[in-house]
Amino acid sequence: MGDQINLKILLESQGLERCPFPIPTGWYFVDYADTLKPGEMRNVQLFGQEWVLFRTESGKPGMSDPYCPHLGAHMGHGGKVCGEHIRCPFHHWEYDTAGWCKSIPYAKVTPPIVRKQAILRTLPMVEKYGMMWAWYHPQCAEPSFELPYIPEIEDPTGYTGSRRGSWTADTCIQEIAENGVDTAHLKFLHGAPGIPPVEATYDGPVMKLDIGRGYIVGTAYGPGLNVMRFNQHGITATMISYTQPITAEKSRMNMSFRHVDYPEGTPELHASKKVIDHMIGAAEGEESAGFESVDFIVWNNKKYRPNPLLCDGDGPVLQFRKWFKQFYSNADAATLAKI
Amino acid sequence: MTAVRVKDRDGADKTVDADDGALLMEALRDAGCGIEGTCGGAMSCGTCHVYVADAWVAKLPPKSEDETMMLEALADFVPLKPGSRLSCQISLNGRLEGLEVEIAPQA
Repeated sequence: MGDQINLKILLESQGLERCPFPIPTGWYFVDYADTLKPGEMRNVQLFGQEWVLFRTESGKPGMSDPYCPHLGAHMGHGGKVCGEHIRCPFHHWEYDTAGWCKSIPYAKVTPPIVRKQAILRTLPMVEKYGMMWAWYHPQCAEPSFELPYIPEIEDPTGYTGSRRGSWTADTCIQEIAENGVDTAHLKFLHGAPGIPPVEATYDGPVMKLDIGRGYIVGTAYGPGLNVMRFNQHGITATMISYTQPITAEKSRMNMSFRHVDYPEGTPELHASKKVIDHMIGAAEGEESAGFESVDFIVWNNKKYRPNPLLCDGDGPVLQFRKWFKQFYSNADAATLAKI
Repeated sequence: MTAVRVKDRDGADKTVDADDGALLMEALRDAGCGIEGTCGGAMSCGTCHVYVADAWVAKLPPKSEDETMMLEALADFVPLKPGSRLSCQISLNGRLEGLEVEIAPQA
C-alpha cells in the first residue's frame, strides 16, 4: 500500500507534439539542375516559407525571399531575371544572388544600408550531383560545412543508374532520420530476419552508421544528405537520400539509386538491380519490406516523445538525438526543452 | 512646446513651435520648411538634412553610425558641414528651446 502509480507515463502523451522541432540548419536539395534554365524563375515552398528560385543569364542559381525589401512586392509574381539580377516588378529594384541591391533606378542617394550589406534574404547555393542545393540557417549564418564528394554520382564513368524517387511524409526530418539508428524496427516493422547490430560514430555534422557489420554503411552529412551503401551478394549499391523540409511538419524524401556500371547480362548487374529494388519496396521473392511500404504509416501518425521508454535491444536513439541537436543551435530554451 | 529657429532654403527666418517629444524632422515637415522625411526616420533617404548652428552642435546627442553613413552618402550631392544632422534623429525637448537650424539643399 502507499505505492503511487506513475501518472507521468500514463498522461504524458496529452502534451506531446508531432513535430516540436524548428527547421534544422544544413544543406538541402532544392531541385535537379536541369529543371531551371538561365533566365528562368519560379516559386518554391521550402523551409516553411515560399522562395523565389531563379537562374541568372550566366547560369548562376539564386534563391531569395519573395518579398522586396522596398515595399514588399512578391518578386516571383511579375518579377524577372535581368542579367545577373532578379528584378522586382514594382519599382525595378534589382538584387544579385547574394541579396545585394544592385540598382534602384530612380534614387539619387543610395540608402547607406544598401552599400553596407545584403538587404534581401537569399540562401547560399551550390550545384553538385546535377542538383541545386541551398544552405538554410534560421539566422542567415554562412555554411559551416561542405557537401561531400560522392563518386557514384559525380564520377563521369564507372557508375550508372537513373532510378530515383520522391515521397512526401507528414513529419519532420529528424523523425525520418531517427529510423536509421532504430534497428529494432527493421525486424518488426520491415520484417527483417533479425535485429542487426548497429554502430554509429559522430564527427561534427557527419554521422556514420554501420548496420549489420558492413551490410549497410551510411554517412549523413547534416540533416539533408545521406549516402547509404548496401553491400550484398558481392556488390555495392548506393542510395543517395536528400530529404527536404517543406514545412516543420512535412518533408519530401528524394532518393537516387546508383550502382557500378556492370556489363549487361552479368550476375553483378542483376544483383545490383535487385538490391535497389529491395531498398525501395519489397523485392520479388523477399520477405522484408523497403521503406516505401511500411515506414509512412508510422511517420505520418506518430508523436515525438522527448523522453522515450527505451529498452535493452533498442538502437542508439538518444545518441542520435544528441548529435542532431547541433542543427537547432539557434533554438530558444523553450523549444530545446521539448526536443 | 519648444521653439526652433529655422532658416529655410530661400534664406528666410522663421520660428517653428513643436510639441516636446516630437522629432525635429516632423516639426519642420509639418511647418512647411521643405523637409520631406520620406523614410520616416529610418536614415535611408537623407531628405531631412539640416545644418545645426555651431553653438548647438555639442548640445545634441551624438550621431549614430547609421546617421553618419547617410550623411556621407549625401556628401556626393550637397555640402556637409560640422553641424550636418538628420533632423529625424533629433527629438525635441525643453533643453533645445531656441535651437537654430538651417535647411540644407536638396540632393
